Amino acid sequence: MSTSFTATEFFQQVQNGTALLLDVNPAHAYSKAHPAGSYNVPFHRQGWGEEVKRALNGQSPPLGVFADNAVIAEAAKASLTAAGLTVPFTFERGVKGWEQEGLPLERVKDLTVDELAQNLDNYVVVDVREPYELRSGIVPGAINIPMGQLQGRLNELDKSKPHAIICASGNRSASAASWLSQQGLEVANVVGGMSLWMGGRHPVDRV
Amino acid sequence: MIFLPIWDGSHGCASFIVGDDADGRGIVVDPLAVIGADTYILNAAEMGLKIVDVIETHVHADHHSIARELAEKTGLLVSMGHRAPLATAFNPLHEGDRIDLGGVHVTVLETPGHTPDSISLVVTDTTRSPDPWLVLSGDSLFVGDVGRPDLVDPTPELTERAALDQFHSIHDKILSLPDTTELYPAHYGASACGGLFLSPKPISTVGYERRWNRFAQITDPEEFVSQLLSLLKPPPVDAAAIRSQNLGNLKTH
Repeated sequence: MSTSFTATEFFQQVQNGTALLLDVNPAHAYSKAHPAGSYNVPFHRQGWGEEVKRALNGQSPPLGVFADNAVIAEAAKASLTAAGLTVPFTFERGVKGWEQEGLPLERVKDLTVDELAQNLDNYVVVDVREPYELRSGIVPGAINIPMGQLQGRLNELDKSKPHAIICASGNRSASAASWLSQQGLEVANVVGGMSLWMGGRHPVDRV
Repeated sequence: MIFLPIWDGSHGCASFIVGDDADGRGIVVDPLAVIGADTYILNAAEMGLKIVDVIETHVHADHHSIARELAEKTGLLVSMGHRAPLATAFNPLHEGDRIDLGGVHVTVLETPGHTPDSISLVVTDTTRSPDPWLVLSGDSLFVGDVGRPDLVDPTPELTERAALDQFHSIHDKILSLPDTTELYPAHYGASACGGLFLSPKPISTVGYERRWNRFAQITDPEEFVSQLLSLLKPPPVDAAAIRSQNLGNLKTH
């Protein structure tokens, strides 16, 4: 399986649904911009390839790796390959390079905590932290749907309203926001999450 | 805030990753060849950080730097004090320059003495406090000691001038920070860049050193210079070669 593709060729397969493109950059980078249709699976060294394999649930589509530099791209490819997955495509020139190839990007809108505080009435705030994390307080009126339950509880969200997605630091919410945006919701990611919300002395509800 | 010291005990060298977990941007300071550029890239990625700056506190004379390789692999230029004698492009840092990593701010202090281009980096997490939380003091103030002034040019005249610079860097800059500021120098223990009193402990606070560091106690510049020069260790045999290689390392391309 040493077939390799150009970015345009591989992207064509992603669009056809015959291949998956994994953006392995940190969530904040992904949130700022990522290849259209890519999924964010931030790379780490311990058993990452096995985690991807488990998430694929028995499927083994050809995988593309999208990274900011060759070090991460190669490490991610090696980890996937070691888990028995097929990686016919790696891209190591990040968002700038993707743009230079003339290929489309997606961006999730960023929302600062101050912007959210000023427009709180205009958003449904979705807190994707785990229930035990809420003890430090939540944004007034926020609803809690832990990251892992999003897929199953999508119908609880109102497609006609804008949503502000928040977590502890803005990492999980970035992934959640990009997935929700792919499901057709109007979403924004709250940068810095509850850490900056509370650091900015904005009000919280206790739960 | 993310703060990860990466130490090399065999040479007594310290390197650091500093970043903001709520923002996803980070910097690497004084990366070490024995650790390897890829390790910094992978560590930063695992903590959710994109490396946006690679900073050297000075041109090192005791160990090999990997700053240029790390910068190349991450598509950056190395940042150094503007007086660094490099022939080719680097990003020059000046007193008061501030690198904003979301809520974490990194402010440059020029602290010449060990070398003319030496800088220190004051790190503040504005989501916690307006006060600095820590300072990466490079080879200015060490734990128990100060950076030696004789490795760039060992002639008595220039060594003396460098020692006087070191006095002002330490007393006017580093020791003007609040007592609670943590101190993370570039060296500890076995390093050749310190003197007879360099502690094997890699971390201190500004307050502890103000009170217990013998050089911080000396408030007279002449006395400081005279003490510093009389307490010098012999220079490491390979200092000039390593320094020139680090200069060359940074010069090539």
